[in-house]
Amino acid sequence: MTRNDWLGVFFAVACFIGMVYVYFMVFRPANKDKFESQRDLVLDDDDPIRMGEKR
Amino acid sequence: MEATKATPVKYDMDVVRWFTIAAVVYLVVGTLIGVYVASELAWPFLNFDIPQITFGRLRPLHTNAVIFAFGGCTLMATGYYMVQRTGATALWSNKLAWFTFWGWNLIIVLAVITLPMGMTSGKEYAELEWPIDILIAIVWLAFGLNHTMTIAIRKTSHIYVANWFTMSMIIMITYLHVVNSMALPVSLTKSYSIYSGVQDAMIQWWWGHNAVGFYLTAGFLGIMYYFVPKQAGRPVFSYRLSVLHFWCLSFGYVWLGAHHLQYTALPDWTGSLGAGISLAMIIPSWGGAMNGMMTLSGAWDRLRTDYVLRFLVVSLAFYAMSTFEGPVMSIKTVNALSHYTDWTVGHVHSGALGWVAMVSMGAIYHMVKKLWNTEMYSDSLVNVHFWLATIGAVTYIVAMWVSGIMQGLMWRDYDEYGTLTYTFVESVSAMHPYYAMRAIGGAIYNLGAWVMLFNVVMTVRQASAARGIKAVAAKA
Repeated sequence: MTRNDWLGVFFAVACFIGMVYVYFMVFRPANKDKFESQRDLVLDDDDPIRMGEKR
Repeated sequence: MEATKATPVKYDMDVVRWFTIAAVVYLVVGTLIGVYVASELAWPFLNFDIPQITFGRLRPLHTNAVIFAFGGCTLMATGYYMVQRTGATALWSNKLAWFTFWGWNLIIVLAVITLPMGMTSGKEYAELEWPIDILIAIVWLAFGLNHTMTIAIRKTSHIYVANWFTMSMIIMITYLHVVNSMALPVSLTKSYSIYSGVQDAMIQWWWGHNAVGFYLTAGFLGIMYYFVPKQAGRPVFSYRLSVLHFWCLSFGYVWLGAHHLQYTALPDWTGSLGAGISLAMIIPSWGGAMNGMMTLSGAWDRLRTDYVLRFLVVSLAFYAMSTFEGPVMSIKTVNALSHYTDWTVGHVHSGALGWVAMVSMGAIYHMVKKLWNTEMYSDSLVNVHFWLATIGAVTYIVAMWVSGIMQGLMWRDYDEYGTLTYTFVESVSAMHPYYAMRAIGGAIYNLGAWVMLFNVVMTVRQASAARGIKAVAAKA
């Protein structure tokens, strides 16, 4: 195994562990409310943009 | 700067307006060049023996115009728009935003001059020569810095998922562009890649597929996660799914590039790894597409009357279709038939015309109404545009699917003596009706772009006229 091979193995395993962590974090029932509470953020800015105002 | 009615937030929207208008103009120009090069393939006399307008020189101009001019202006318009609106803050630097606008447009002008003159590095989707590559890196980093710092000064506690997708695109495209463009200049207009042989091929497609993955997918998914809920007036179906979509895409996409190099000098396992991860990526891609579509759950009837929403939802259908088709094409058995044929061209355009351009059009129509604080000049024309875009895209894609599969089957067919049944030129001749059909599909799509340009220009004029009347009334 060359240094490049070992680096490749390291990044592949690190990505795999990262993916498992993300699945765990996202689907953990205790985190559901924390995530879903952000759903409405995009709708909260619904104010008309007025044009032509000076600073 | 402009204020909203209910809050004292002031936004920098002038630069967003300019990027938006530029995007629509580049959509018209980029697809028009596409129609011309498609017509050259169907009717080669259109070259007129003028080197500057031959297919080989105009094709990179078409791809640069639609990807970097239209796509880039759309991404910067929406990026600056979303980060301000979701962060309840103005841009970190309005001047830097204007620098990105003029810098990006200068790059586009340089591309228009150099590519038809034959000045090219010869790397697909990265044809521009080294001085322009450096300029791209500077302008892109300025965009990244401004976007990141605007997030840093946001007034909201949470960073909305759309901004995560945009940041992911900015980081990865910087990395990909710099590494892929490393070259030894021999003059101001000519350079040679520092990579050679199989390494060059691997770097090329590491860039090529991740330009698709992070520029044309992650960036436009950011658009989807902001504009679909906004236009539908409903929160995204599942925020958790959007987080999963983001991280899976960011972890997974970088491994796919090698699937472009099946049956080449590249080690076999790298192509298989690329294909394996490609198939795994169907899960987050479809999860994201379903998340966008299910946002309309309970409000599907709005599709009857809301033409902008139609663009956004149909783009998601194309996204789902392309992200299934791509992994299937990367499987070695399928790739043996599809590679080097027009099937690949059809696949790319189902993603480009169906997903990227249609989600952009939906976002632009939404933004135009908000930015100029008005209604569209003609909703009927938005509907006309929707149908022209849909019919044009489907005509194009079907032509290339049929043509590509026929090509692949003709190339591999042999008789009982083991001799190839068809000569190459016979396969070219068989493609002609489909090349004509592709040009017609593209022309229909381009006509839709003209309709959009007219409608947007008239909407802006209508808004300006209304403001003038209000100003006169206020003075009286």
